[in-house]
Amino acid sequence: MVVRVRVRNAETGATVDMELEMENTVEEIIEGVSAYWEKDPGAYVIRKGRRLLRGQQKVQELEIQANEELELIPDPEGGNR
Amino acid sequence: MAELIRPGERDEDRHDRTRLVPWVDFGRIDSAKVLVVGAGALGNEAVKDLALFGFHHLDVLDMDSVVRSNLSRCVLFREGDQSSGKGKASLVAERARELDPELQVTAIEGRVQSLGPEEMKRYDIILGCLDNVTARLHMNANAYHARVPYVDGGTDGFRGRVQAVVPPMTPCLQCGMNRSHFRILERRFSCTGQDTVFYQPKRAAEITTTSIIAAVQVREAVKILSGRPAISHVMHYDGVAGTSEVLALDIDPGCPNHALAKLS
Repeated sequence: MVVRVRVRNAETGATVDMELEMENTVEEIIEGVSAYWEKDPGAYVIRKGRRLLRGQQKVQELEIQANEELELIPDPEGGNR
Repeated sequence: MAELIRPGERDEDRHDRTRLVPWVDFGRIDSAKVLVVGAGALGNEAVKDLALFGFHHLDVLDMDSVVRSNLSRCVLFREGDQSSGKGKASLVAERARELDPELQVTAIEGRVQSLGPEEMKRYDIILGCLDNVTARLHMNANAYHARVPYVDGGTDGFRGRVQAVVPPMTPCLQCGMNRSHFRILERRFSCTGQDTVFYQPKRAAEITTTSIIAAVQVREAVKILSGRPAISHVMHYDGVAGTSEVLALDIDPGCPNHALAKLS
Protein backbone atom coordinates (compact mmCIF):
# COMPACT_ATOMS: atom_id res chain seq x y z
CA MET A 1 0.00 0.00 0.00
CA VAL A 2 1.17 3.48 -0.90
CA VAL A 3 0.21 6.78 0.71
CA ARG A 4 0.86 10.21 -0.73
CA VAL A 5 1.86 13.03 1.63
CA ARG A 6 2.87 16.63 1.18
CA VAL A 7 6.08 17.79 2.85
CA ARG A 8 6.62 21.49 3.58
CA ASN A 9 10.06 23.04 3.86
CA ALA A 10 9.82 25.18 7.01
CA GLU A 11 12.68 27.41 5.86
CA THR A 12 11.25 28.34 2.44
CA GLY A 13 7.58 27.40 2.55
CA ALA A 14 8.07 25.20 -0.54
CA THR A 15 6.19 21.92 -0.69
CA VAL A 16 6.72 18.62 -2.45
CA ASP A 17 4.49 15.55 -2.69
CA MET A 18 5.98 12.22 -1.77
CA GLU A 19 4.73 8.66 -2.26
CA LEU A 20 5.49 6.47 0.71
CA GLU A 21 5.33 2.75 1.32
CA MET A 22 4.18 1.55 4.73
CA GLU A 23 7.73 0.32 5.41
CA ASN A 24 9.36 3.69 4.74
CA THR A 25 10.79 5.44 7.80
CA VAL A 26 10.81 9.05 8.90
CA GLU A 27 14.56 9.11 8.30
CA GLU A 28 13.95 8.14 4.69
CA ILE A 29 11.46 11.00 4.33
CA ILE A 30 14.05 13.42 5.75
CA GLU A 31 16.73 12.12 3.41
CA GLY A 32 14.40 12.20 0.40
CA VAL A 33 13.25 15.78 0.81
CA SER A 34 16.70 17.03 1.94
CA ALA A 35 18.18 15.68 -1.26
CA TYR A 36 15.31 17.11 -3.35
CA TRP A 37 15.76 20.57 -1.86
CA GLU A 38 19.57 20.22 -1.81
CA LYS A 39 19.62 21.14 1.88
CA ASP A 40 22.89 21.99 3.58
CA PRO A 41 24.33 19.21 5.71
CA GLY A 42 22.69 19.60 9.08
CA ALA A 43 20.18 18.09 11.46
CA TYR A 44 16.52 18.05 10.51
CA VAL A 45 13.34 16.73 12.09
CA ILE A 46 9.84 16.12 10.76
CA ARG A 47 6.69 17.28 12.50
CA LYS A 48 3.16 16.00 12.01
CA GLY A 49 0.79 18.50 13.53
CA ARG A 50 2.06 19.22 17.03
CA ARG A 51 4.19 16.05 17.21
CA LEU A 52 7.80 15.48 16.31
CA LEU A 53 8.29 12.15 14.58
CA ARG A 54 11.11 9.81 15.58
CA GLY A 55 13.56 8.85 12.85
CA GLN A 56 12.97 5.12 12.98
CA GLN A 57 9.19 5.29 13.01
CA LYS A 58 7.63 3.62 10.00
CA VAL A 59 4.85 5.15 7.95
CA GLN A 60 2.47 2.40 9.10
CA GLU A 61 2.91 3.58 12.72
CA LEU A 62 2.24 7.23 11.94
CA GLU A 63 -1.47 7.04 11.10
CA ILE A 64 -0.88 9.31 8.13
CA GLN A 65 -3.93 10.23 6.07
CA ALA A 66 -3.67 10.62 2.30
CA ASN A 67 -2.39 14.09 1.34
CA GLU A 68 -1.62 14.95 4.95
CA GLU A 69 1.06 17.60 5.39
CA LEU A 70 4.33 17.01 7.20
CA GLU A 71 6.95 19.69 7.81
CA LEU A 72 10.73 19.50 7.61
CA ILE A 73 12.29 21.67 10.35
CA PRO A 74 15.98 22.41 10.91
CA ASP A 75 17.13 21.21 14.34
CA PRO A 76 19.60 23.90 15.45
CA GLU A 77 22.76 22.66 17.13
CA GLY A 78 24.80 25.87 17.49
CA GLY A 79 25.01 28.23 20.42
CA ASN A 80 28.48 28.15 21.97
CA ARG A 81 30.51 30.17 19.45
CA MET B 1 4.62 43.21 69.09
CA ALA B 2 3.81 44.55 65.59
CA GLU B 3 6.33 44.13 62.75
CA LEU B 4 8.47 47.21 62.10
CA ILE B 5 8.64 48.49 58.51
CA ARG B 6 10.27 51.50 56.83
CA PRO B 7 9.11 53.50 53.79
CA GLY B 8 10.77 52.26 50.59
CA GLU B 9 12.41 49.23 52.20
CA ARG B 10 11.00 46.86 49.60
CA ASP B 11 12.99 48.65 46.93
CA GLU B 12 16.17 47.65 48.75
CA ASP B 13 15.49 43.97 47.99
CA ARG B 14 16.95 43.38 44.52
CA HIS B 15 14.52 40.52 43.87
CA ASP B 16 11.38 42.15 45.25
CA ARG B 17 9.56 42.34 41.90
CA THR B 18 10.46 38.78 40.92
CA ARG B 19 9.16 37.57 44.30
CA LEU B 20 5.74 38.89 43.27
CA VAL B 21 5.43 35.99 40.80
CA PRO B 22 3.37 33.74 43.08
CA TRP B 23 4.54 30.30 41.97
CA VAL B 24 8.31 30.89 41.95
CA ASP B 25 9.95 28.92 44.77
CA PHE B 26 12.57 31.46 45.76
CA GLY B 27 13.99 29.30 48.53
CA ARG B 28 14.72 26.60 45.96
CA ILE B 29 16.12 29.10 43.45
CA ASP B 30 18.40 30.53 46.15
CA SER B 31 19.76 27.14 47.24
CA ALA B 32 19.84 25.31 43.87
CA LYS B 33 23.22 24.32 42.45
CA VAL B 34 23.23 24.91 38.69
CA LEU B 35 25.74 23.78 36.08
CA VAL B 36 25.97 25.78 32.86
CA VAL B 37 27.84 23.81 30.22
CA GLY B 38 29.27 26.16 27.62
CA ALA B 39 30.27 29.77 28.27
CA GLY B 40 29.81 31.08 24.75
CA ALA B 41 26.79 32.88 23.32
CA LEU B 42 24.01 30.91 25.04
CA GLY B 43 26.12 30.43 28.19
CA ASN B 44 26.70 34.19 28.57
CA GLU B 45 22.98 34.90 28.32
CA ALA B 46 22.01 32.01 30.57
CA VAL B 47 24.45 33.02 33.32
CA LYS B 48 23.32 36.65 33.09
CA ASP B 49 19.68 35.58 33.46
CA LEU B 50 20.43 33.13 36.29
CA ALA B 51 22.35 35.79 38.22
CA LEU B 52 19.66 38.42 37.75
CA PHE B 53 16.87 35.99 38.58
CA GLY B 54 18.34 35.22 42.01
CA PHE B 55 20.28 31.98 41.61
CA HIS B 56 23.30 31.97 43.91
CA HIS B 57 25.24 28.77 43.21
CA LEU B 58 26.58 28.30 39.68
CA ASP B 59 29.35 26.30 38.05
CA VAL B 60 30.29 27.25 34.48
CA LEU B 61 32.22 24.83 32.28
CA ASP B 62 34.04 25.63 29.05
CA MET B 63 37.40 24.72 27.54
CA ASP B 64 37.67 27.63 25.07
CA SER B 65 39.07 31.13 25.11
CA VAL B 66 37.45 34.25 23.66
CA VAL B 67 37.85 35.33 20.03
CA ARG B 68 36.79 38.77 18.84
CA SER B 69 33.86 37.43 16.79
CA ASN B 70 32.25 36.24 20.06
CA LEU B 71 31.72 39.85 21.16
CA SER B 72 28.58 40.39 19.05
CA ARG B 73 26.67 37.83 21.10
CA CYS B 74 28.32 37.61 24.51
CA VAL B 75 27.08 40.22 26.98
CA LEU B 76 29.72 39.32 29.60
CA PHE B 77 32.78 39.59 27.34
CA ARG B 78 34.64 42.84 26.67
CA GLU B 79 36.96 44.17 23.99
CA GLY B 80 40.41 42.97 24.99
CA ASP B 81 39.23 39.70 26.58
CA GLN B 82 40.51 37.88 23.50
CA SER B 83 44.08 38.75 24.50
CA SER B 84 43.65 38.42 28.28
CA GLY B 85 44.77 34.81 28.40
CA LYS B 86 41.69 33.96 30.46
CA GLY B 87 39.24 31.27 29.45
CA LYS B 88 35.59 31.89 28.65
CA ALA B 89 34.43 30.16 31.84
CA SER B 90 36.66 32.32 34.06
CA LEU B 91 35.57 35.53 32.36
CA VAL B 92 31.90 34.62 32.63
CA ALA B 93 32.32 33.81 36.33
CA GLU B 94 34.19 37.07 36.97
CA ARG B 95 31.60 39.25 35.20
CA ALA B 96 28.65 37.39 36.72
CA ARG B 97 29.96 38.33 40.19
CA GLU B 98 29.76 41.97 39.11
CA LEU B 99 26.04 41.45 38.43
CA ASP B 100 25.49 40.04 41.93
CA PRO B 101 28.32 40.07 44.47
CA GLU B 102 26.48 37.40 46.50
CA LEU B 103 26.67 34.97 43.59
CA GLN B 104 28.92 31.96 44.24
CA VAL B 105 30.13 31.03 40.78
CA THR B 106 32.96 28.67 39.94
CA ALA B 107 34.66 28.42 36.56
CA ILE B 108 35.61 24.96 35.34
CA GLU B 109 38.10 25.16 32.48
CA GLY B 110 37.67 21.74 30.97
CA ARG B 111 35.99 19.41 28.56
CA VAL B 112 32.38 18.30 28.70
CA GLN B 113 33.61 14.71 28.63
CA SER B 114 35.30 15.22 32.02
CA LEU B 115 31.84 15.12 33.62
CA GLY B 116 30.25 11.75 34.33
CA PRO B 117 27.06 10.89 36.20
CA GLU B 118 28.77 11.12 39.61
CA GLU B 119 29.86 14.72 38.96
CA MET B 120 26.43 15.58 37.60
CA LYS B 121 24.68 14.31 40.73
CA ARG B 122 26.10 17.37 42.54
CA TYR B 123 23.71 19.61 40.64
CA ASP B 124 20.00 20.30 40.91
CA ILE B 125 19.74 21.25 37.25
CA ILE B 126 22.04 21.48 34.22
CA LEU B 127 21.77 23.89 31.29
CA GLY B 128 23.33 22.78 28.00
CA CYS B 129 24.63 25.79 26.02
CA LEU B 130 26.65 23.78 23.52
CA ASP B 131 27.38 23.82 19.82
CA ASN B 132 27.69 20.20 18.75
CA VAL B 133 25.86 16.91 18.80
CA THR B 134 28.73 15.00 20.45
CA ALA B 135 28.77 17.16 23.57
CA ARG B 136 24.98 17.18 23.72
CA LEU B 137 24.79 13.40 23.60
CA HIS B 138 27.35 13.17 26.43
CA MET B 139 25.49 15.63 28.66
CA ASN B 140 22.10 14.15 27.82
CA ALA B 141 23.09 10.56 28.64
CA ASN B 142 25.03 11.34 31.82
CA ALA B 143 22.48 13.78 33.22
CA TYR B 144 19.75 11.24 32.48
CA HIS B 145 21.58 8.52 34.39
CA ALA B 146 22.30 10.92 37.23
CA ARG B 147 18.54 11.74 37.23
CA VAL B 148 19.31 15.45 36.99
CA PRO B 149 17.02 17.62 34.84
CA TYR B 150 18.81 18.85 31.70
CA VAL B 151 17.62 21.84 29.67
CA ASP B 152 19.31 22.02 26.28
CA GLY B 153 19.34 25.02 23.94
CA GLY B 154 20.49 25.33 20.34
CA THR B 155 20.52 28.09 17.73
CA ASP B 156 21.17 28.50 14.03
CA GLY B 157 20.72 32.03 12.73
CA PHE B 158 17.18 33.13 13.56
CA ARG B 159 16.08 29.61 14.51
CA GLY B 160 16.38 27.98 17.88
CA ARG B 161 15.21 25.10 20.00
CA VAL B 162 14.88 24.26 23.68
CA GLN B 163 14.27 20.79 25.10
CA ALA B 164 13.65 20.10 28.77
CA VAL B 165 14.61 16.58 29.84
CA VAL B 166 13.26 15.59 33.25
CA PRO B 167 14.27 12.01 34.07
CA PRO B 168 12.65 9.58 34.22
CA MET B 169 9.40 11.02 32.88
CA THR B 170 10.27 12.70 29.61
CA PRO B 171 11.94 11.75 26.34
CA CYS B 172 15.60 12.71 26.13
CA LEU B 173 17.59 14.43 23.38
CA GLN B 174 18.61 11.12 21.83
CA CYS B 175 14.94 10.09 21.47
CA GLY B 176 14.49 12.92 18.97
CA MET B 177 17.67 12.39 16.98
CA ASN B 178 17.85 10.66 13.61
CA ARG B 179 20.42 9.85 10.93
CA SER B 180 20.78 13.53 9.98
CA HIS B 181 22.17 14.22 13.46
CA PHE B 182 24.53 11.27 13.34
CA ARG B 183 25.77 12.30 9.86
CA ILE B 184 27.02 15.49 11.50
CA LEU B 185 28.98 13.34 13.94
CA GLU B 186 30.47 11.41 11.03
CA ARG B 187 31.52 14.65 9.31
CA ARG B 188 32.91 16.04 12.55
CA PHE B 189 35.15 13.03 13.07
CA SER B 190 35.54 11.70 9.55
CA CYS B 191 38.44 9.31 9.10
CA THR B 192 40.55 9.85 5.99
CA GLY B 193 42.49 6.64 6.49
CA GLN B 194 45.58 8.54 7.62
CA ASP B 195 44.20 10.65 10.40
CA THR B 196 40.97 12.06 11.83
CA VAL B 197 39.57 15.21 10.26
CA PHE B 198 37.97 17.54 12.78
CA TYR B 199 35.17 19.39 11.00
CA GLN B 200 33.70 22.42 12.78
CA PRO B 201 31.42 24.41 10.49
CA LYS B 202 30.90 28.15 11.07
CA ARG B 203 27.20 28.65 11.73
CA ALA B 204 25.09 31.77 11.48
CA ALA B 205 24.52 33.23 14.94
CA GLU B 206 23.07 36.48 16.25
CA ILE B 207 22.18 37.94 19.62
CA THR B 208 18.38 38.23 19.44
CA THR B 209 17.78 34.51 18.95
CA THR B 210 20.56 33.69 21.42
CA SER B 211 18.86 35.86 24.07
CA ILE B 212 15.46 34.29 23.53
CA ILE B 213 16.67 30.68 23.60
CA ALA B 214 18.83 31.19 26.72
CA ALA B 215 15.97 33.00 28.44
CA VAL B 216 13.63 30.08 27.76
CA GLN B 217 16.26 27.68 29.14
CA VAL B 218 16.51 29.66 32.37
CA ARG B 219 12.73 29.97 32.62
CA GLU B 220 12.36 26.21 32.24
CA ALA B 221 14.95 25.78 35.02
CA VAL B 222 12.90 28.09 37.25
CA LYS B 223 9.72 26.13 36.47
CA ILE B 224 11.29 22.74 37.11
CA LEU B 225 12.89 23.84 40.39
CA SER B 226 9.61 25.46 41.48
CA GLY B 227 7.74 22.20 40.93
CA ARG B 228 5.90 23.23 37.78
CA PRO B 229 5.78 21.07 34.66
CA ALA B 230 8.38 21.82 32.02
CA ILE B 231 7.51 22.27 28.34
CA SER B 232 6.37 19.03 26.71
CA HIS B 233 8.81 18.52 25.08
CA VAL B 234 10.66 20.61 22.48
CA MET B 235 10.18 24.30 21.70
CA HIS B 236 11.08 25.30 18.16
CA TYR B 237 11.52 29.03 17.58
CA ASP B 238 11.41 30.75 14.19
CA GLY B 239 12.59 34.33 14.58
CA VAL B 240 11.81 35.32 10.99
CA ALA B 241 8.18 34.23 11.26
CA GLY B 242 8.07 35.43 14.89
CA THR B 243 6.63 32.12 16.06
CA SER B 244 7.45 29.47 18.60
CA GLU B 245 5.76 26.12 19.04
CA VAL B 246 6.09 23.39 21.61
CA LEU B 247 6.05 19.99 19.92
CA ALA B 248 5.47 16.69 21.65
CA LEU B 249 7.96 13.84 21.32
CA ASP B 250 7.61 10.19 22.34
CA ILE B 251 10.20 8.23 24.29
CA ASP B 252 12.07 6.09 21.76
CA PRO B 253 11.69 2.46 22.89
CA GLY B 254 15.12 1.80 21.36
CA CYS B 255 16.85 4.70 23.14
CA PRO B 256 19.72 3.31 25.24
CA ASN B 257 19.24 5.94 27.94
CA HIS B 258 15.73 4.80 28.76
CA ALA B 259 16.58 1.12 28.50
CA LEU B 260 19.47 1.55 30.97
CA ALA B 261 17.37 3.70 33.28
CA LYS B 262 14.81 0.88 33.51
CA LEU B 263 17.54 -1.58 34.50
CA SER B 264 19.07 0.64 37.19
